[in-house]
Amino acid sequence: MNLDIEIDDNSFRLRARAWLRANLGVTSSDNIRHGGQTARKTATQWLAKCHAAGWSGVAWPREFGGQGLSPARLIIWYEEYTRARAPSALDCTFVGLNHAGPTLIACGSDTQKSFHLPRILSGKSIWCQGFSEPGSGSDLASLKTTGKVEDDMLVVNGQKIWSTCADLADYQELLIRTEPGSKRHRGLSWVICDMTLPGITVRPIENMAGVSHFAEVFYDDVRIPLSNVVGALHDGWNVAMTTLGFERKTAAIALQLELSVTVEDLITSAQAQPGTALSEQLADLRAEAAALRAMTYRAVLRDGGTPFDGSLIRLTFAELAQRIHRTAIDTLGAEALLDGPMVHDYLESYSETIAGGTAEIQRNIIAERILGLPREPRA
Amino acid sequence: MSFDLNQTEDQRQIHDACRAMLAEHYPLSRLRGPATAESLAPLVAFGAFAFALPEAHGGAGFTLLDEALLHVQLGRHLISPAALAAPIAARIALDNGQLEQAVKITEGQTSVSAMVKTKNGILLLGNGAAVLGIIRQHDTMQLIDISQVNRDRKAAMAQGQPIFAIASLPAPKSNNVAKAQTSQTAQILVSAQLLGVAEGARDLAVEYAKIREQFGRPIGSFQAIKHHCANMALGVEKLSAQLDMAAIAVGKQSEDAAFQTAALARIAPNVALENARICIQIHGGIGFSAEADAHLFLKQAHVLRQLIGQTDFLALPAPMAPTREDT
Repeated sequence: MNLDIEIDDNSFRLRARAWLRANLGVTSSDNIRHGGQTARKTATQWLAKCHAAGWSGVAWPREFGGQGLSPARLIIWYEEYTRARAPSALDCTFVGLNHAGPTLIACGSDTQKSFHLPRILSGKSIWCQGFSEPGSGSDLASLKTTGKVEDDMLVVNGQKIWSTCADLADYQELLIRTEPGSKRHRGLSWVICDMTLPGITVRPIENMAGVSHFAEVFYDDVRIPLSNVVGALHDGWNVAMTTLGFERKTAAIALQLELSVTVEDLITSAQAQPGTALSEQLADLRAEAAALRAMTYRAVLRDGGTPFDGSLIRLTFAELAQRIHRTAIDTLGAEALLDGPMVHDYLESYSETIAGGTAEIQRNIIAERILGLPREPRA
Repeated sequence: MSFDLNQTEDQRQIHDACRAMLAEHYPLSRLRGPATAESLAPLVAFGAFAFALPEAHGGAGFTLLDEALLHVQLGRHLISPAALAAPIAARIALDNGQLEQAVKITEGQTSVSAMVKTKNGILLLGNGAAVLGIIRQHDTMQLIDISQVNRDRKAAMAQGQPIFAIASLPAPKSNNVAKAQTSQTAQILVSAQLLGVAEGARDLAVEYAKIREQFGRPIGSFQAIKHHCANMALGVEKLSAQLDMAAIAVGKQSEDAAFQTAALARIAPNVALENARICIQIHGGIGFSAEADAHLFLKQAHVLRQLIGQTDFLALPAPMAPTREDT
């Protein structure tokens, strides 16, 4: 892989910078951070604006309405995006753009693609994930929510949890057991679930930062057309695994750059005297953030690697984010007891080593899949 | 900013050849006996010290990233610091227009070693017979003629590598100072060797975890050991990515060269020391013994750490100043 940012790419950078400067306007990340309908409105209006100008779905292939940016341009776009302090990529459009959309592109039918992809790209529909269950967290393959095939319908019963933005979402990527009596990874299906269907109840859960951006979802005889199954019936595990790597790789660029900004802001605001413990700590965090950036860029730019390399980046990001936010509130002294953006981000950062695969599961993956150590015994 | 991360066939071949040369001449078993000065002849014959110097100066013309990857291999074999001193000394000579001196160094006719300052004087590491020494003074490197300087052999933490005390150095000459790029290059190559130490410690520990059995199964199947191993892999990934970034930046003299190198120099010793620590821990009792190689990685990490030098990292501008005012 060879990335040379030549004249052409510089012009791309300037084009991105100019558009962001002209269009960022009144959008505020704080609205998005705190969830609710205001957050949905802010996020979708911003995405619609991006879409109209050809800046939505930057990593999606062109034939599906994306921008098909090269890895180098993807990096430039996110550098400019972050530099301009555009809204966090981790808003309620995230699952659609980084997970559901790419899954539909890889495994969806033509009908599914032509209906859903344009709506995701333009912010018309919001997606949430329906994977985890109360009894199936790290052990996802033990999930119990069932979909019984009745003629051309699936009748769904059960419960999902930790579904981010479920209260705002129009659709859900729902992983359920469709083959009666099947075990583990077999007999699951990946289904598009319309969140307005009768029998669905969404109960938002307040998190430890005091906001409710995730929820429990209950399914009571919810009737979903069989035509909403993505990929083959009973092949849902493979469908779910197809796009896990995509999320880890592309989304990593945006999130990592946001973290670099957090570190630089912290260095500026802390005004640490050279030689103090705080200045040493900040220098370490800055170096770690630089290395995380190097890891991310290298993964995006270099050919090859294993599908599990994303775990290295994801885990490094998660643990570094927690350290950075912890240092940030340390600089506040007793004012850390008051609510505020830094305190909010600190509390939110506790999710980083849990959501999307705990730090412990990521370490198992690294040890077993990358280093080749013997597998954990499984029931 | 510019990246070139994929190796060509030529680059792959030269690194394979290097691996074979190191396996033949520098097995870790050589470090188990009493310390002797390491023969650098096989490295000289390989062209290791002129690897990335311009062809006009007798070099092989590879990139700094190629040279860094070569030093990762050297690091895995816990080579004498004299092998780090030579390519830096040659560069300092070239920085000062001393082509003949540079060639003598890269061809092994003039011996060089590395020196570090202590509270009470100077330590000479590796080759006690060296006639030239490199030393870091603040942010820059100097090349000093030590042919007339007395040196006393000292008992060393790393038994495999001789170490000498020097009371004082001759007054520095004006034509012995490295250019900024050379001082950064020194940090890149030391970091590359620290990465090699970290990789070697990881591999030794992982292989041991696969074969050592307790409670009827390999210890590597226990999560506690797995997570230690995963932490070593995380450290290596982080350090090697930053090494690529910094070596490319310094090689091309990009704007962010100082920033990337300073970040690298901060990370490299920590990763190597931590991987060496975990490697000893995973080996258990035998890891604490002098009979296993685990402790050699720890001691080499301490040696290299003294050579790396630190900059006031927070004083450097961020490579992508993320302020809204800029946009």
